[in-house]
Amino acid sequence: MDSQPAGSGHIEVDRVTKTYASDAGDIQALDAIDLDIAPRELVTIVGPSGCGKSTLLRCIGGLIPPSEGRVLIDGEVVTEPDPRIGYVFQRAVLLPWRTVEKNVLLPFEIGGRPTSKDRKSVHEALEMVELSEYAKLRPAELSGGMQQRVAVARALVTEPSILLMDEPFGALDAQTRDSMNVELLRIWQEAKPTIVFVTHDIGEALFLSDRVVVMTARPGRVHEVVEVDIPRPRTFELVEGDKRFWALRHRIRAAL
Amino acid sequence: MTEQPTTEQKPRLLRRLRNEKPLGRILVVVSAALLLVVWEAWARTNSPLILPTPIAVFDRLVSYVSAGRAWPHITITVQEIVAGFALGSFMGIGLGTLAAEFNIARRVIMPYVIITQALPKFALAPILVIWFGFGTTPKIIIAALIAFFPLLENTYLGLTTTPALDLELFRALRAPRRVTLLKLRVPHAVPAVFSGLRVALLLSLVGAVVAEYVGANKGLGALIIVSQGMLDTELMFVAFVLLTLLGLTLDKLHGLSYRLVLRRLYGKTASSAGRAASRVSV
Ligand SMILES: Nc1ncnc2c1ncn2[C@@H]1O[C@H](COP(=O)(O)OP(=O)(O)OP(=O)(O)O)[C@@H](O)[C@H]1O
Ligand SMILES: [Mg+2]
Repeated sequence: MDSQPAGSGHIEVDRVTKTYASDAGDIQALDAIDLDIAPRELVTIVGPSGCGKSTLLRCIGGLIPPSEGRVLIDGEVVTEPDPRIGYVFQRAVLLPWRTVEKNVLLPFEIGGRPTSKDRKSVHEALEMVELSEYAKLRPAELSGGMQQRVAVARALVTEPSILLMDEPFGALDAQTRDSMNVELLRIWQEAKPTIVFVTHDIGEALFLSDRVVVMTARPGRVHEVVEVDIPRPRTFELVEGDKRFWALRHRIRAAL
Repeated sequence: MTEQPTTEQKPRLLRRLRNEKPLGRILVVVSAALLLVVWEAWARTNSPLILPTPIAVFDRLVSYVSAGRAWPHITITVQEIVAGFALGSFMGIGLGTLAAEFNIARRVIMPYVIITQALPKFALAPILVIWFGFGTTPKIIIAALIAFFPLLENTYLGLTTTPALDLELFRALRAPRRVTLLKLRVPHAVPAVFSGLRVALLLSLVGAVVAEYVGANKGLGALIIVSQGMLDTELMFVAFVLLTLLGLTLDKLHGLSYRLVLRRLYGKTASSAGRAASRVSV
């Protein structure tokens, strides 16, 4: 991962509305979302459960089409899943019959026969999440945190310019989550993709991001975009010792 | 990886002592012995025409088998089972896959499947004998018809219960349909298909034997009918024993191949994967 990601990773969300059809009538999940996320920015999204955070991420990733509005990546309208995007889901979603290494190789295998360069990328991605020694093991032999790191490696291995993360560490215990966040910042500093990170933990959001997008309950709207002017590089001691952290935390909590 | 043997062996020995398996085995042996004793006692008070004693059955089994008279029957029945099972499984897995992959195929296939299930297949045996004679063909057809359904059902189930998030991952990775089938849905369906194969294997044994009742001159089912005609209950029990041993052998072979496949897919995590899978499959 020595090369810079291809493309710049600029995301524009242009008045995106999403309405799901269901048996109980239409459910409006998103209402005219506008966002402009700069290349290499790390933006987090917080909001009450069911406000449409996952839906927004799916629209950005091209997994579902918006009902109205559009998403642009580097100026192009998104209509289908995009190779410039890496995805990390709430669960690790590893294939239990594949070794760690083969799970990370999956994106290449799907695109055709993996080359030796692809294998080298897998090796580097595993090094980045510090799991090189576990390459030959199967997911069942790893802890939850390690499995989630494999999922991060799988998302990074194709060197995407954008990383979409949907509560990736939500299922982990507090200490593991903290160390994953530290690792994520390190990876972000190294590979510098644009990251959109969904969470419902305000502390996690403030620790990670340049900006926090606060959404309202359903139908999801952008309530407020909070700039996080805490200097980098950040550590938990530094961030939690910073007065701005607590002020922002109060402000977001009040908004939710 | 080499570990210090002393720290390795101690817990293993403890585990073996605490293991419940030997206790289970002992209980099986004891209860089987008890059953045989009760059978022997009961049979002695009856005419051997009604119920031969286990000792008599055993003696007859040994003499029958050592005279080489069992083999022709066993090989015929095994041929019928294997051919019927292979044919039925092939059709079941094939049609199950089609039904899972294409909605239109499912809508065409399912009504036929339900009709063939409603029809008692043994009832077809006489007409199959008229059409195909007393050879192995009618038995293979019956065995195949019976083996077919559990495989269709389980293949369909296995291929259509892929977790939604796994499918979303493959969509995000822009996997073509064929790749999603081969790399995700098929491996996910393996345990369900194997549990279908197990049922199918034992059902094709039943199918072959019952079809032999209707019209055959060789095979373990035919042997049962012949011994009935000669009022040779002992010989009939010999056939029962041989059939039971045959069923057990087939089931063991199935278990062995399933374990091999699991080992191939899951490596060292095979046993836990198999246990997890057996909880979800039918
Ligand atoms: N496939 C779907 N069909 C119908 N309604 C859906 C679908 N997916 C989501 N919804 C609805 O849209 C709304 C937003 O869902 P979404 O999953 O985006 O919320 P979320 O903010 O990610 O929630 P959480 O924090 O609990 O993950 C919810 O009310 C949900 O019921
Ligand atoms: Mg969600």
